[in-house]
Amino acid sequence: MQTKINIVNLQIKNKKNSNSFKKNYFAYMLMLPAIVLTFIFAYLPMPGILAAFQDYNIFKGLLDSPWVGMKHIKEIFQIPLMWGSIINTVKLSVLTIVVSFPAPIILALMINEVKNGIYKRTVQTLSYLPHFLSWIAVVGLTYSFLDQYGPLNDLLILVFGVDTERAMFLSKQEIFVPVLLILSVWKEIGWGTIVYLAAITSIDPMLYEAAYIDGANRFKQHYYITLPGMKQTTVLLLIFTLGSLFGSNFELVYGMQNAFIDFDVISTVVYSSGIQQGNYSMAAAIGFTQGLVAFLLTFFANQISKKVSQISIW
Amino acid sequence: MNYESISYKVFKTCNIILLFLIVVAMIFPYVNVLAYAFNDALDSQLGGITLFPRVWTLDNFKVLIANREIINATGVSILRVVFGTLFALVIQFTSAYAFTIKGLRGKTAILMFLMIPMYFGGGLIPVYLLYSKMHMLNNFLVYVLPVSFSLYNMVIIRSYLYSIPDSLGESARIDGANDFTIMWKIYVPLSMPILAVMSLWTAVSNWNDWTTTLYFITDHKLYTLQFILMQILKEGERIAKLVEEALIAGRALDMGGQPSITPQAIRYAEIILTTLPIVIVYPFLQKYFVNGITLGAVKE
Repeated sequence: MQTKINIVNLQIKNKKNSNSFKKNYFAYMLMLPAIVLTFIFAYLPMPGILAAFQDYNIFKGLLDSPWVGMKHIKEIFQIPLMWGSIINTVKLSVLTIVVSFPAPIILALMINEVKNGIYKRTVQTLSYLPHFLSWIAVVGLTYSFLDQYGPLNDLLILVFGVDTERAMFLSKQEIFVPVLLILSVWKEIGWGTIVYLAAITSIDPMLYEAAYIDGANRFKQHYYITLPGMKQTTVLLLIFTLGSLFGSNFELVYGMQNAFIDFDVISTVVYSSGIQQGNYSMAAAIGFTQGLVAFLLTFFANQISKKVSQISIW
Repeated sequence: MNYESISYKVFKTCNIILLFLIVVAMIFPYVNVLAYAFNDALDSQLGGITLFPRVWTLDNFKVLIANREIINATGVSILRVVFGTLFALVIQFTSAYAFTIKGLRGKTAILMFLMIPMYFGGGLIPVYLLYSKMHMLNNFLVYVLPVSFSLYNMVIIRSYLYSIPDSLGESARIDGANDFTIMWKIYVPLSMPILAVMSLWTAVSNWNDWTTTLYFITDHKLYTLQFILMQILKEGERIAKLVEEALIAGRALDMGGQPSITPQAIRYAEIILTTLPIVIVYPFLQKYFVNGITLGAVKE
């Protein structure tokens, strides 16, 4: 009797084992495409970074091109175009974060104050729309809006009288960066509110009631309840944004550049000197520097946040 | 909370007005271009159009739609959206599903493997060099394969799948369903809401992408609509060629044989042509567009 039970147990055990193997086999097969695609398109390019330390020749490839060490990395700091593009990238990124990071938080707080459901939803729906347009379409809208005969000039004439000269905004160097900043905010501000509004919704309403009873006015309620309630979301998003700090928006900058504008960022230099002019080593070098700094920024932002607020992405 | 101070009432009113202005700023540029696109090209040169066309016409679009390259580019755009979205959905769903299977060995290692490229990447040049080796330059596949797997989307699908109770799959297994049947007949139908969101996101990002063409495509037959919009905006020759072709074909002449089309008018029409598919479906699918963020990302 005893042995029989044992055998039955054994059989169940075996069946379980083979079952879990079969189950795993199926799961691995399901994952395979993702793994293969990631390997080919994300890992295989990695050795290509070595081109930054070679005088890369497309006919010789990575194996036979001559090694030159740090030559190109040093050159970055000698060629004004390259060096200037790094400065511009930092400048643009810092300004973009300062301007476009708080914007959706403020808008979310404003939307949250609206009690009329239909008005609230309409505002939300319409403010999401630009997020779904491509950057180049946004650039196109900007070209039209700032056109010599576009609505902005029409408006200025309406306000300042018929004698006002129609300005060519697109070729003005001094407003190039402000326009980029406005566009970054314009496109993503509405979409950015979704996460914050979700965070606000998840705050326990009892907290507000308790605060109200204790005599806190609306402003104080937000300061002591809403803002702390959004902290987690805000910090996580900030870390992610810092990582992309050095990415600079190629689509926007490249789209808005024209013959009158002298403003390059790292990504536009990588494209123009690398792909257009075939200067692979130089472009790889500056791209490598960018990637490295971006990673370090994310890393340190995460480290600091872990210490300060116990929130981290790793 | 019946009591409302006067200052709070003032604030509330200002808030509502300010939000209205923000919304106007959000949609006015688009509405304005829409009005210009349907306005007579020569009349548009005077400016002054705000919300509605002054001299209504469809000619600007007729010129564009009759152009062979625009027709071809529309076809390429549609094909890449269809194939790109289908392929991406299959890859992302199957891998997300695999990650929810319990007791799978090496799950963490595989996740790490998929995650590392989010933080380290070669950058554009190494990718370009690799593609040129793989004969992916000027190849339709460059539109579909590299972007098909997105870890972010996979994680969202996965957290949605976690919300489906295990017992459903278990009871089907007892009834004799195999692994594939369980996934296909139970989990896929139940995941429709998240799959709808993901297909919308993927379709939109495929439709909107133009840098892939800029970096990796030089063959005119593989140009997309967005890329042609970029050329129209940035390259004077491009738009001059379009106008010239329309004139030679006699499509853009007025009664007196004078040109009735301008580069600006073509620009307006092309902006509308590339964005209209999104703007038209947006009001109906708006809910699904937004759902993804709340379905998956926030739950984590």
